[in-house]
Order: sequence, then C-alpha cells, then structure tokens
Amino acid sequence: MLLEAKNVAKHFGEFRAVADANLTVAEGDVIGLIGPNGAGKSTFFNCLAGDTEPTAGTILFDGQDVTNASTETHARLGIGRTFQVPATFEDMTILENVMVGAFMRHPGRADARAHAEKIIEMTGLREHAHLRARSLGTPGRKRLEIARVLATGPRLMLLDEALAGLTPGELQQAITLVRRIHETGVTLVIVEHIMEVIMTLTARVLVFNQGHVIASGKPQDVVKDPLVIEAYLGHGHGKRARKRGPAA
Amino acid sequence: MKEATTSKIAWGWLALAAVFLVYPLVFQSAFFRDIGVLLLLAAISASAWNIVGGYAGQVSVGHGMFFGVGAYVPLMVFTHLGWPPLLGVPIAIVVVLVLSVIVGMPTFRLQGHYFSMATLAVAELIRLLVGTWDFAGAAIGLSGPAIPRGWWDLTFTSELPYYYIFLGVLATLLLVTWQVQRSRFGYYMRAVKAGERAAKSLGVPVRRTKLFALMLSAAFTSIAGSLYAIKTGFVDPESGFGILVSVQMLIIAALGGAGTLIGPLIGAIILIPLQTATNTWFGGGGSGLTYILYGGIIVLLARFEPGGLVELWNTYAPRRWRSGSHAP
Ligand SMILES: Nc1ncnc2c1ncn2[C@@H]1O[C@H](COP(=O)(O)OP(=O)(O)OP(=O)(O)O)[C@@H](O)[C@H]1O
Ligand SMILES: [Mg+2]
Repeated sequence: MLLEAKNVAKHFGEFRAVADANLTVAEGDVIGLIGPNGAGKSTFFNCLAGDTEPTAGTILFDGQDVTNASTETHARLGIGRTFQVPATFEDMTILENVMVGAFMRHPGRADARAHAEKIIEMTGLREHAHLRARSLGTPGRKRLEIARVLATGPRLMLLDEALAGLTPGELQQAITLVRRIHETGVTLVIVEHIMEVIMTLTARVLVFNQGHVIASGKPQDVVKDPLVIEAYLGHGHGKRARKRGPAA
Repeated sequence: MKEATTSKIAWGWLALAAVFLVYPLVFQSAFFRDIGVLLLLAAISASAWNIVGGYAGQVSVGHGMFFGVGAYVPLMVFTHLGWPPLLGVPIAIVVVLVLSVIVGMPTFRLQGHYFSMATLAVAELIRLLVGTWDFAGAAIGLSGPAIPRGWWDLTFTSELPYYYIFLGVLATLLLVTWQVQRSRFGYYMRAVKAGERAAKSLGVPVRRTKLFALMLSAAFTSIAGSLYAIKTGFVDPESGFGILVSVQMLIIAALGGAGTLIGPLIGAIILIPLQTATNTWFGGGGSGLTYILYGGIIVLLARFEPGGLVELWNTYAPRRWRSGSHAP
C-alpha cells in the first residue's frame, strides 16, 4: 500500500472534524473523496499532508510512519497537495512559483528552471509564465497550484477541489490534465463536489459526513446509497455554497 | 523581449556604478564627499537588512544589535589589546552569527510578529547593558586610534579612501545578494515571505531558511557597523545600538523597495541627502526632526505604495521601461 490511514481523528476542542477515518491507497489509484460542506474532507487532507497533527490514529506512507512528521518531510517523501483556497505566491511569476516546487529535487537553478518549464508546458501555463501569480484568476491559480506540486515530483497528489469554479470548457481541459498526470505514474486522491469529475476520473470513492466515512465503493453504486443521499439531502442538498469551512 | 530587458538592467547598473565611481572626483568638497560616504554606509546597512527583512519578509526592528556589535568589537580590540581595529571585524561577525541564532531559533518557530518584537526588545536590552558596561566604555563609548600606526589602522584624514572602501563593500554585498536571489535559497526566502504554509507543502525548510537569511543579513550588518566605527573612530551606545540605527535601515529599504536588489540603494540616495538637508537647515543634530521624517515616510508608504519606489515605478512607468516582474 502506498498510503494507509488508520483511525485518523482530528478534534478542535470538543468538535470532531474528523473521527475515525480510514483510507488505503494503492500505487496507481485514483480515489475520490466526497461529502457535504464541513464534512471534514479538507481537515483529513491536512492530516495526510502533515499540515496538522492528527489527534489520534496513524498514517503510513510507503510503509513508513509519517503521522507526526513535518510538512517538509511529507513533501520530500512524495506527498503533494493543493489548497482549496489557492495559496499561490502572489508576487512571484508563474515560472518562479513552479520553480520553488522544482527546487526540491533539482537544487541547481538551471535544472530547476528546465524542469519547471516542462511542467508549465504540460499544464498549459506557457503564455502566462512571466506574469505574476496575482494577475491570474481563480481557475489559473488552481492550475498553478497543480503545476507547482507536480514540480516537486510527488508519488501521491491530494487535490482539494482543484477543479472547482471552472467553466465547462476549462473543466474538460482540467480533467484531461489530471488524466495525464495519472498516466505519468502519480497516484491521486481527489476531493471534489462536481460529480462529473468523480464519475469520470475515479474508480473508488469515499463519502465523508460529519467526520465519518459513511460509505465507500464504486462511484455509480455510492451515489445510490441511501445513507449518502440522506447525508446530502440533510445537509443542504443543492445549496452547497451555503457554508464554507475555514480550513482550506 | 526578455533578453532586451536583462541587458537594459545591466546597462543601468553599469551607469550607476560609473556615477558612484566619479562622484567624489567631481564633488571634491568635504561636505559632498561626507554625504557620499554616509550614503554608501546607509546603502550597505539597508541592503544587509533587506536580505532577511525584504527577501525573507522577516521584519527586524532591531538590526542595530548587529550594527552595534560590528562597531564595538573593532574598537574593543584596539582599546584593550592594541590590535588594529580591522582584526575585530571577523570576531564581530562570529559574535553576530551566534546572536542571530539566539534570537532566531526560538522566534522563527512562530509565525507573525514575534520575531519583530523580539529583535526590538533584544536590541534595546543590549543598548542598555552596554551603556553600563565599563569594558565597553559604558555611556561614554569607545574610541579608535587617533594617530594611525600604519595603513592597517585605516585612519585617514581624507574622506576619499573611505568612500572607495565603502563602495567596494557595497558592490560586493550587492553581488552576493544578486547571486543569492537567483539561487534556490533566494527562491525559498521569497516563498517563505509569500506564504509559509504553501512553502512548507512544497518542501521548503521554512525555519532553516529564515535562520540562514538572518545570519547572512546579520554578518553584513556587522560589517557595516565596523566600517562606521573604523571611519568615525568612535562609537557610543546610541550610535551603535540606538533605535534610530535599526529604524533607518528599515525605512531606507522600504522606501526604495524591500525585497529588491536596487531598492535599498534608491532609498539611501533619497533619504540621506534629505536627512542631511533637514538637519543642516533646521540646525542641530536634529534627532527629533529625524523621527518626524521617518514617521512621515512610513505614513506615505503605508498609504500609497507599500512596495516602495521600485513598485511604484513598475506600476506607472511606461511599459517599455519597466523591468517586468523581476525587480531591477
Ligand atoms: N482550524 C479549525 N478550527 C476549528 N474548526 C475547524 C478548523 N478547521 C476546520 N474546522 C471545522 O471542521 C469542519 C470540517 O471542515 P473541513 O474544511 O475539513 O470540511 P470540508 O469537508 O473540506 O468542507 P468543504 O466542502 O466546505 O470544503 C468544519 O465544520 C470546520 O468549520
Ligand atoms: Mg474543504
């Protein structure tokens, strides 16, 4: 197993954002993570990426215990993640943003630049390469987030709503990009509200609700699960913009 | 397009270097040469501050602690051991490296303003302690060699040798900064400034990056202090560790453009003549006036352009003169 999260919990005081979550990911998987707003998906990602220490549970990556390892260690071992609210380096250019990621495995400037340029080509950011990140709109910044992580050469990528807010045309491009990333041998876990993305990209989904995994299986089966329908209907079905958790 | 911009920037730097090289030959009066020396010293200090405060975004309000150590140690080795002050320069660097680890290690664990507050507090503490420490001349301060025993005492009656020594140091510092800015470490500093959380997720060793930035910055600030003490032949707690020393570096870098190579130099070119003029016209040491001047600059920057003059230029200059995103 590439990633094994066992009984992971994250509490904020009395509040259990993630309770007893389990996830196993094999090399080459594409796994979807869905659930209503505030279900704990981003918080779970934060635990997996070493951004926050879980209150309980263990996380193994490639057999190694990374539960309490630093964020940098996670990155170096090959766990990359994007942020739900893009956290691009605003005053740096697109190329420079991607170079920061590239430097992790390419310490020399020329190497890092060459590698970053390849990634920029692949992610379709070529024409903006010398613009500052702050000049991009949300779709561009989400794309830049993907490019930047990709430049670190991850084995596992955690995408947190990286495809949200795109026009139908942009969405198709983004789906193609994610496919291509997968083809290069990167394992993916994707948090997404857009069912189209989940249906087309993932072979297995986990459904989160109130910090718990309430269902898992093939996407076609899971959406028919009464528990899942109940979770969505009970939690603002059709008005998912109602509540946005602060964790990004 | 990219090459054209790059070569334009190179020509700009060459022209600037030429102006600095001939300045004291054109303006031969002691008054103008003195301003030149002051300006270079201010540019060195502000450029040194800029490494940690500008590029890495860790705003130190107490860089006087490094400047002061750099100023005191050479005069200490002269006063107590009779050594040439120059021999105190490397010793001071070792001291400030230790000092920056002591200040940086605990504060860089935390985000936010802890580092700024810690630097302010430590600099003030050192100033107060040195003011009561007899070995360091207490409140009176220390003096250097009045009559040079040889060239190595670096005691000259003319401003000219100091001018060119300072210019050489400034050129070296800017070259080092330029190299650093292009390296992985330089990119990491800017990433840390732009967002620690995202930087970490890309494998940037955030704490180590901040600490190295502080150490590099402290070493050059110490050299600036040494140059000051060797040239002036005198230092006291206020001129070494005073709050104005710390604030001046910050103001100059911010005025020109923090986190850019040329920003601190531009800041010094504007502030030093301005400060000299106000002090001359309105008489006295004008320290109260200096506070007003600094306060005014802070207000203007905060209100209109936090990125300083370089950013203002990049926003409003005609497109073909601009330097793109890379600061000149
Ligand atoms: N740092 C924090 N402190 C306190 N509560 C938090 C914190 N981070 C997240 N939460 C809470 O934990 C719950 C889960 O949030 P999380 O962001 O993980 O949900 P999500 O499933 O990603 O939701 P969304 O679909 O809106 O992104 C929310 O109720 C949120 O308010
Ligand atoms: Mg979320």
